[in-house]
Amino acid sequence: MSTVTAPRPHVVDHVDVPDNYLTHSRGFLSWILTLDHKRIGVMYMGAVLASFFVGGVFALLLRTELLTPGRTIVSADTYNQFFTLHGAIMVFLVIIPSIPAALGNFVLPIMLGAKDVAFPRLNLFSFWLWLAGAGFTLYSLAAGGFDTGWTFYTPYSTTTTTGGVIPVLTGVFILGFSSIFTGLNFIVTVHKLRPPGMTWFRMPLFLWALYSTAIIQVLATPVLAITLCLLIVERLLNIGIFNPSMGGDPVLYQHFFWFYSHPAVYIMIVPAMGIISELIAVHAHRTIFGYRFIAFSSIAIAMFSFIVWGHHMFVSGQSGLMNTIFSLISFSVAIPSAVKTFNWTMTLYKGTISLTAPMMYALAFLFLFTIGGLTGIHLATLNTDVHLHDTYFVVAHFHYVMMGSALIAMIGGLHHWWPKMTGKMYDEKLAIAGCIIIFVGFNLTFFTQFMLGSQGMPRRYYDYQPEFQIYHVISTIGSYVMGIGFLTTAVCFVQSLRSGAPAPANPWGGRSLEWQCASPPPHDNFKNTPRVGNPYDFSMLQWNPTTKGYDVDPVREAAAFAVEARNEQARGHA
Amino acid sequence: MLSIASILIAQAAAPTATPADFWLPSGASNHVAGVDTMFHWINYICYFFFVLVVGMMVVFIWKYRAKQGERIRLDGMTHHKGLELSWTIIPLLISIAIFFFGFRGFVDLTTPPKNSFDVNVTAFKWGWTFKYPNGAQSDNLVVPAGRPVRLVMRSNDVLHSCFIPAFRVKRDLVPGRFSTLWFQSDVPTGLDEAKGYHLFCTEYCGTGHSNMNRKVLVLEQPEFDGWLTKQAAWLDEIPDEELYFKAGPKLYARCQQCHSLDGTAGLGPSWKGIWERVSNPSGGVAFADGKSYSDLIGPGKEYATPEDYIRDSIYNPGKHLIAPYGNVMPTFKGQLNDRGVEAVIGMMKHLDEFDAKGAWTKSVPVATK
Repeated sequence: MSTVTAPRPHVVDHVDVPDNYLTHSRGFLSWILTLDHKRIGVMYMGAVLASFFVGGVFALLLRTELLTPGRTIVSADTYNQFFTLHGAIMVFLVIIPSIPAALGNFVLPIMLGAKDVAFPRLNLFSFWLWLAGAGFTLYSLAAGGFDTGWTFYTPYSTTTTTGGVIPVLTGVFILGFSSIFTGLNFIVTVHKLRPPGMTWFRMPLFLWALYSTAIIQVLATPVLAITLCLLIVERLLNIGIFNPSMGGDPVLYQHFFWFYSHPAVYIMIVPAMGIISELIAVHAHRTIFGYRFIAFSSIAIAMFSFIVWGHHMFVSGQSGLMNTIFSLISFSVAIPSAVKTFNWTMTLYKGTISLTAPMMYALAFLFLFTIGGLTGIHLATLNTDVHLHDTYFVVAHFHYVMMGSALIAMIGGLHHWWPKMTGKMYDEKLAIAGCIIIFVGFNLTFFTQFMLGSQGMPRRYYDYQPEFQIYHVISTIGSYVMGIGFLTTAVCFVQSLRSGAPAPANPWGGRSLEWQCASPPPHDNFKNTPRVGNPYDFSMLQWNPTTKGYDVDPVREAAAFAVEARNEQARGHA
Repeated sequence: MLSIASILIAQAAAPTATPADFWLPSGASNHVAGVDTMFHWINYICYFFFVLVVGMMVVFIWKYRAKQGERIRLDGMTHHKGLELSWTIIPLLISIAIFFFGFRGFVDLTTPPKNSFDVNVTAFKWGWTFKYPNGAQSDNLVVPAGRPVRLVMRSNDVLHSCFIPAFRVKRDLVPGRFSTLWFQSDVPTGLDEAKGYHLFCTEYCGTGHSNMNRKVLVLEQPEFDGWLTKQAAWLDEIPDEELYFKAGPKLYARCQQCHSLDGTAGLGPSWKGIWERVSNPSGGVAFADGKSYSDLIGPGKEYATPEDYIRDSIYNPGKHLIAPYGNVMPTFKGQLNDRGVEAVIGMMKHLDEFDAKGAWTKSVPVATK
């Protein structure tokens, strides 16, 4: 282990500069009016985590209510509001914005070596829209709450007497635009602001994932906006669009809703897959296995996501022919998912695996996503889905994917980029303990729900048959364990903010560009556009025990660039 | 894959109830064999891939974990076309096979035989009515054993879904449409509710969603025929003077989720004092449109008699809403005939003879007032 003495422009530049994006300017207005993508990302992260806390409290209340059949702590109507709020908050306020808007905003421009996103003002506007959407959702509680389920199925949603339906629909409508603007911004940024030398196939895979996600956001979310408008019109003006008593069709609503909400599942999981590609490669210190297959599978999933929505409706009254077609196409999503899973696993082969906190989350993801993905087969298959549809089996399946995969990846990503965002390290042991407790609690909570569902327990049930109680008790205990896990993680982060050791520029040994600027990054990210290499070539890294981070060996870096230039030339001649 | 087909065919003929296992509940219909076999085969495939992925993960982590002071290994391959194509193509083939068998099972599941016995099903917030060709009605689904049964289903208000786990069938009830579902059960349960199979509502429909469960009772054909005849005539067989306390409480069971008898607040107005209100209509505002009882009830008014008013409230519940209640009551037109309405009105006239749960507390019949 040698310490590097020669100055290297893209690292040393910022070491003596005390100014960073956090200290660049002060005061409340400097945050709420900022155009800096990093600050916007951090504000999104704070807002998303606060919403996650609220959604999580509702989850624990739900699980507590389900400890016994009949009334445990609240009435049926309150329970119905709780699960509706839990779903709506977790989907629209937490998971959809969590990775693209919070982590993506912070990381994407730096990964591109850019100073900011293409449209910084639009970026700030989309955050304000998020706040407005969240405000309407909060207001809906004051207006009487809503008990429609997060899916707002008609005619229940247009006839229920709870007063908060229109405010929350408005809120979700606005949140949709927040999401569209973020997507638009990312598409343009990736196209226009890549530095010289960063070809499409030199982009880190997280960027491929964010790019695929942005396409879905821009194309699918407007359909949600239209659907919600129609719903508001029907409820407010009694114009029959979905309600059969006024000449409408409730199945039409389901088609509209899932035309957005199925792609929305991929707005949640595709960026998570991008994070996992980064985490596994960086923390195994090994080039990603099958870069192109992973990149293309992100695009493939984004495309397939638009043509499988009907698998939510196998028993809801669409024709048998449509069921057959949607079942067949739904299986196609299994292929790119399988490709990614195997490629991640193979990336561990002959790696040099550091079992850091982010890596633990990545491994937890791999475990949970495998279960979540495989149980999707039961639901895509027509005759088994008839039995399992709208039971706890579905609840367990989508929690494995949306929480066990998307949220776990988000938290893994937060651990990964935390030193970059805050400039502080955290207590690794405490973080890993949190991860393990969450993992154990998660499986206790949701694996039991697979049995619960396949045994015949319907979802959204306040009361249930006594034979299901044992599963419910185990599931509830699991949710408490998970709560303790998240609390541990929160303590770890707070501790880091208060007394964490200063973070080096490159604590994990990453090669994408964000690890080449200081932690936390300066206001402009890079003084000079950094030199772009293969983001997964770790050959020039060496551990520096003084800074407790990785340095670049300039000799080996030059050699790596020379090899790449030769390969490039060879490709050019061929 | 051929073996799956042969098992599917072999088990489809088996007529007995299957025992519950770790995953699936006990099954008692013709669909059980097909669905369960498919479910278990998918499980085996899942076990295989889960063990493969997690096994490789654990082995690699153990073998290639970083040791103190170790250099970064650089000999890992960047890609391998053969491997990557194999895990693209093999899952694709498996998926197509699963799709195909699932599709075949689905065709069986959704194609009722021509000679099936039809039962009309109406779902409403929050209950079910099962109606039979001879006019009989029942709160539980009673079906003959050994004969294909087709449910012709509709909803009176919002979406509901009929799910019978032991039969592996499920189908949404969509207002404004008919939907169907079929099964054949060969395992009789008798009329004992404790032995019946669960029937659940699986499409969220509000407050009483989780209590919309009924039982499916399977009877041998002769017993079923007897039950059907008796069931069709039950209202007619009760003598007129006993109608309100024999039929009333039975019919009230469908009302009690929203309408209390003792003044307890509910989704609809309590029946307490209802007959006094409508038979001596007062002038105070009682309805959401600002009208009073006396505006509506009386000679020459919209309802000549209080009985007319009650009857119309049951058949057209949204017409005159009592403040501050919402328009949530489903119509009972076609479910409650005139004699049923008569029984309900009779009960309203004698509410002092019933306890808070609707049980008749007197032991000797008294003449109607």
